[in-house]
Amino acid sequence: MMVDDKQVLLLVGSAKQRHSNSQALGGYLCGRLEEEGYRTETMLLSRAQRSETGQAEVLAASDRAGLIVLAFPLYVDSLPYLVIKALELIADHRRGQNRDDAAQRFVCLANCGFPEAHHNDVALAICRRFAAEAGFRWAGGLALGGGEALGGQSPAARGGMTRYVVEALDLAAAALARGEEVPARAVQMMARPLIPARLYTWMGGLGWWLQARKHGVARRLRARPYVGE
Amino acid sequence: MKAVLLDGSRSGDDGLDGARRALTAELQGLGWQVRSFPLREFEIHHCLGCFGCWVRTPGECLIDDAAREIAREAISSQMLIYLTPVTFGGYSSELKKAVDRIICLILPFFTFVDGEIHHKKRYERYPRLVGLGLVEDGDEEGAQIFQRLVGRNAINFHSPAHAAAVVRRGQGEADVQAAVRDLLQKVVPVPERAEEVR
Repeated sequence: MMVDDKQVLLLVGSAKQRHSNSQALGGYLCGRLEEEGYRTETMLLSRAQRSETGQAEVLAASDRAGLIVLAFPLYVDSLPYLVIKALELIADHRRGQNRDDAAQRFVCLANCGFPEAHHNDVALAICRRFAAEAGFRWAGGLALGGGEALGGQSPAARGGMTRYVVEALDLAAAALARGEEVPARAVQMMARPLIPARLYTWMGGLGWWLQARKHGVARRLRARPYVGE
Repeated sequence: MKAVLLDGSRSGDDGLDGARRALTAELQGLGWQVRSFPLREFEIHHCLGCFGCWVRTPGECLIDDAAREIAREAISSQMLIYLTPVTFGGYSSELKKAVDRIICLILPFFTFVDGEIHHKKRYERYPRLVGLGLVEDGDEEGAQIFQRLVGRNAINFHSPAHAAAVVRRGQGEADVQAAVRDLLQKVVPVPERAEEVR
């Protein structure tokens, strides 16, 4: 199958069907790439992985895209199951095929609920290893901490708090459009804390408590259902 | 003392059979009970990312499947073992599906651990964490990533001790047994010190 240099495939690795932070970040990057003359296609792995047809569509799209963007939330220091399963399928599909490793590029956008972006480091190392094993050219990775602050909205819509996220994605899109890797400056901008760590943890705690209260379980938030077993 | 072994071998891959046998035999020889979960034989739904296990049914996942039993067994054990083919440096999808589902064992609230933010403990005690991966010969980078990942998981899981190692596909039985013994020595106390460690 011919690779289309101007075709971008956005793979969204969130388990959420809509309004995920991964889709918000990937969608913004793809929007900037469209302004540079790229065509983009978005696939939600949570939907595609449900059926063999959906999985086949992911494989076909990953065969033809010149640039694959994988956007995912951090789950337990790594990629979510849905993403690992998809990467296994793609790697199995490509194994033994005679490909030009430089023809297709692979870039990742990781976001986590901890305020420090470096929690994503191991996950990005896994992504880079996948790219090498599956015959993609690694084009870089951006790591965002405190991703919950996006609230599933485009970073451009969140105002000043996410201005560095917007700047990082703009820099990344411009570099990718020129055929270059994500620049170090973009990585640094993306990793800047959105709000101070202690304020984030306090707000996070309040947020969890409010959600639990909404479900009538605020007093049981610290329950130990398996204690003594 | 109980160990829970989560076996993330992919269907049709028997490359970890020797490591599993060696782990089980070594632990049983030390007087441990081993509860093994060959994950591919269980119906386990993937995590939906809904945080229901934190804010709707605190401490327990909303999905009633084998992952609940795994969580219950894991937190009541003294050692949790991840056995997996090293997949791009990480865990196989079979293992990751189960690991994603045991976040109910920690709290949503944050705390500082060595200057980093992590989630708080839900339970008083957590099991030691052991990772044993199978790598293809020459995958040094994958082996290094795997060891980092187990270390990061141990921090987030409040494990009192952890260790990780890899065996190579096709490695001889005696070498696998030696690797398993070395691995367990890092986290299993000699019998007379058992109470001190817990």
